[in-house]
Amino acid sequence: MLFNSLEFLLFLPLVFFLYWFVFKKNILLQNLFLIFASYIFYGWWDWRFLLLIFLSTVMDFFVGQKIYQNLNVKKKARYWLWVSMAFNIGMLGFFKYSNFFVDSFIGMFSSLGYEIKSTWTLNIILPVGISFYTFQTMSYSFDIYYKKLTPTKNFIAFTAFVSFFPQLVAGPIERASNLLSQIMDKRSFKYEQASGGIKLILWGLFKKIVIADSLAPIVDDIFANYSTYPASSLILGVCLFSFQVYGDFSGYSDIAIGTAKLFGIELMSNFKFPNFSRNVAEYWQRWHVSLSTWFRHYLYIPMGGSRVNKTKSVRNIIVIFLVSGFWHGANWTFIFWGGLHALFYIPVFLMGRNRMYADNVVGEKSIFPTPIEILQVLLTFMLVTFSRIFFRSPTLTDSFQYMNRIATDFSYEPYVHPMGYRMADFYILLVFFVIYEYLIRKDERNPFKFKSKVVRFLLYAVIVLTMLLFYDDEINRSFIYFQF
Amino acid sequence: MNKFLIRMVGYTFLILLAMEILVRVLHLYTEDPPRFIDDLGVEKRVPGLNGYAVTGNRNQNFSEFKINAAGFNSYREFNPSKSKYEIALIGDSFIEGFHQDYFNSIGKKIEKKLDSVEVYEYGYAGYDLANQMHLIYAYKNEFNLIDEIIIYLNYESDLGRGEYEPNFGRIAMLSSTVFKMRDNIKLLAYGSKIGILEPIKKMFSNKGFENNTNIHSNALNLEKQYLENFKSLAKLYGLDKCKTTILLDSRKTSKSFLKYCEENNINYIDFAKKFEDTTKSVTLIYDRHWNNHGRKLIAEFIVDFIHNKKNTDENCNQQASSTQLTK
Repeated sequence: MLFNSLEFLLFLPLVFFLYWFVFKKNILLQNLFLIFASYIFYGWWDWRFLLLIFLSTVMDFFVGQKIYQNLNVKKKARYWLWVSMAFNIGMLGFFKYSNFFVDSFIGMFSSLGYEIKSTWTLNIILPVGISFYTFQTMSYSFDIYYKKLTPTKNFIAFTAFVSFFPQLVAGPIERASNLLSQIMDKRSFKYEQASGGIKLILWGLFKKIVIADSLAPIVDDIFANYSTYPASSLILGVCLFSFQVYGDFSGYSDIAIGTAKLFGIELMSNFKFPNFSRNVAEYWQRWHVSLSTWFRHYLYIPMGGSRVNKTKSVRNIIVIFLVSGFWHGANWTFIFWGGLHALFYIPVFLMGRNRMYADNVVGEKSIFPTPIEILQVLLTFMLVTFSRIFFRSPTLTDSFQYMNRIATDFSYEPYVHPMGYRMADFYILLVFFVIYEYLIRKDERNPFKFKSKVVRFLLYAVIVLTMLLFYDDEINRSFIYFQF
Repeated sequence: MNKFLIRMVGYTFLILLAMEILVRVLHLYTEDPPRFIDDLGVEKRVPGLNGYAVTGNRNQNFSEFKINAAGFNSYREFNPSKSKYEIALIGDSFIEGFHQDYFNSIGKKIEKKLDSVEVYEYGYAGYDLANQMHLIYAYKNEFNLIDEIIIYLNYESDLGRGEYEPNFGRIAMLSSTVFKMRDNIKLLAYGSKIGILEPIKKMFSNKGFENNTNIHSNALNLEKQYLENFKSLAKLYGLDKCKTTILLDSRKTSKSFLKYCEENNINYIDFAKKFEDTTKSVTLIYDRHWNNHGRKLIAEFIVDFIHNKKNTDENCNQQASSTQLTK
C-alpha cells in the first residue's frame, strides 16, 4: 500500500479511529491491532512477504533472548549474534543479491575468456522494504550484544516494533531503544503531536507529488536517451534527479514520521535539509540519517571508527561507504557511488572538518548565508549530484558514457519536456522550493513553523493547490527507495 | 482528541473552500455544456451557451466555445439554402473543437480560404459514425440543401455499431444530481478533469476491464465487423455518394475498408500524408486532439479537396438532386 494512494487514504483514518477509540484502553489489544494493521499494509503488496517478516521477527526475538542469556560468556553471545547476522544478511543476500553475485561471477569468468551459461540466475521477487526491516531487527541484536538494551519478553510488542507500518518499507530504520520502548509504553493522544503529524504528512505529500513525481518524467527521459541529448540537458537531468530523489525519499520519511505521530509514536528524523550541507560529511549527517547512523554505530565504530590511526580510519571510511552503496542495490553502480562518496569524504576527514557542522545549519546566526557558505553549499551539491549519475544509471557503462558526453561534447540546447510541458513551471517551482526549505532549515520536524495562523493557513492552501497543479494521474507513484 | 477532530474537519472544510475559490478565480476547471436528445433523436448540446474549455492542470489549453441554435459549437448559425454553397463538417470532438477558440476553428479557417462558402461544423464529443449518419438522415431537409458533406471518420472508434440508438441512459446520467454537483462544484470538476477522481472511479467500476476485453478481440473479426457496421449504416440511413466524403487517416484505417470504399465509389480523402510531411507537431501537448497547426493542415486539405472537386465534379452535383437521402 502506497502512502500516496486512495487505499491508504481510507486505511489511515480507519486504523486511527480503531486505534484510539476501540483499542485504546488495553495496550496489548492496541499493539495486536497495530500488528494486524501493519500486516494488512505490508501484505497489500504480496501476502507472501508476510511470511518473511514474521520469520525475521521470530528469529530475532529468540536470538535476542539467547544473546542476553549468554552475555557473560562472550563467545556464546557472539555466536548468537552471528546467528542473527547470518540469518538477516542471508535473507537479504538471497532475495536481493543472489542474482548479482551469479551475474558478477559469470561476468568475471567471461572477461577471462570462459563462457558460463547463466543457469543459476533465479527469478526472485525482491520483498519490499527487506533492507530496512532486516537492518532494524539486526540493530536489536547488536544493541543487546553491546549491552545497550535489555531484550523484551513481550513478543507482541516486538512484532509491532518490527512491522510498525509507517516506517516498515522505507524507514526511518529505527532502533529498539527508541521505537520498542514507545510501543511497550501506554500511549496517550496528544493534540500537538497529532497536528504536527498531519503537517508532516502534508509536507511529505507535497515533496512526493509536486517535486519528485513531476520531475520523474524529465529525469527518466534524459537518462533513457542520454546519448541523444546535449551536455546541457544531461547536467539538467542529473540536477533534477537530485531533487527528485530527495523529494521522493524525504517525502516518504516525512509521511512516515507524521503517520507515526498520529499513533502517539515519535520516529527519528531521517532528513535534515541535506541540500544545504557545506561539505560531504555534513551531507551524510543530514541525508538518510537513520541509515548513516546505523552504519556508524554498528559497523564504523566496532571497526575502530576514528579512534584508530589515520590509515585504518580511512580504511573504515572506505568500507562504510562501499557497504552503504551496496546496501542501496545489487549493482556495481551503487558500489561505485559509495566509493565516490568515500573519495569525497576522506579529504574532509583528513582536514578534521567532518564534525564541524554537526550542531549548526547554514545561516545559523543570520537570515542569509554568507558568500562562503553559498559556495560551500553549491560545491557540495555539485559533488553529490555528480555522484548520482552512478546512482541513477542502469549500468556502469551508461554512467561513464553519460559523464563522457558531458565532459567531451559540451553544447547547449534548451530542453523540451517529453510531454511538451513548459519547463519554466518546473524551474520556478524548484526555486520556490529551495527558498522555502531554506526558511524552515532549522527544524525538519515542523515545516510550517510560522506564528500567524493566517500565514499557516495560506501556506496549506498554496501547498494543496500546487499539488493539484502538478498532479499527474498517469505517473508511476511508487517510491524510489522501495526498490532498496 | 475532540479538539483535533474538530480542527481537522474545520481545516479540511476551509481548505476545500479556499481551493474552490482559487479554482474558480484561476478558471482551472473546464466547462462541459449540457447535452440533450432532441425530438428527432439527435444528441447535441443545449443551444445558446458560452463558456471556456480548459485542458491540463495548469490551464495549458484555454479556449472559448459557443453553442449555436442548432446545438453545436460554432461561430455561425446553420441556415442552409439553395442560393449558398455550404459544407457540413461532421465528426466527434476533433470537429467539435472544444480545445480551440470557436472563432478559430477548422470551419473558420476553411471559410477564410474559400470565398462565399459557409461551413457548418456538426461536431459532438462522443459521436461515432452511427451518430453522424443518423444526424444526416434525421436532418435530411437541411442536408439536402447543403452542397458538400464531409464526415470525419476515426476508424478505430467510430464503427462499433451498425445501427443508431439514442443513448438516453447517458444523458440521464449526465443530468443526475451527482453529475450536476460535479459541474457546479468547480473543485470537483477540476479534480475530475485532472484525474484525481480516477482511483475512486476505478474502485467502484470494473468497466475498464470490459473495454480491454473488447479491444483485445480478434483484429480480423473486428475489421469484418466494422465493415458490416458501415454497410448496415449506409443501408439504414442512406449515403449520398456524390456529395458525401469521408475524411480519414489511412494510417489508422484498415486496408479492407479503404478497398471497399474504392470499389463502391464512396469518396474518401486521406490526410495521412499531409500530417506525415509536416515536421511540427499536429496534436496538442496535453491531449491528442489536433492543435492549431493540425487544424490548419486539415483546413488546407479540405480547401484543396473542394477546389479539385468543384473543377472536376460538375456532373455529380447535377446528379445530386436526384440522389435521395432515404431509408
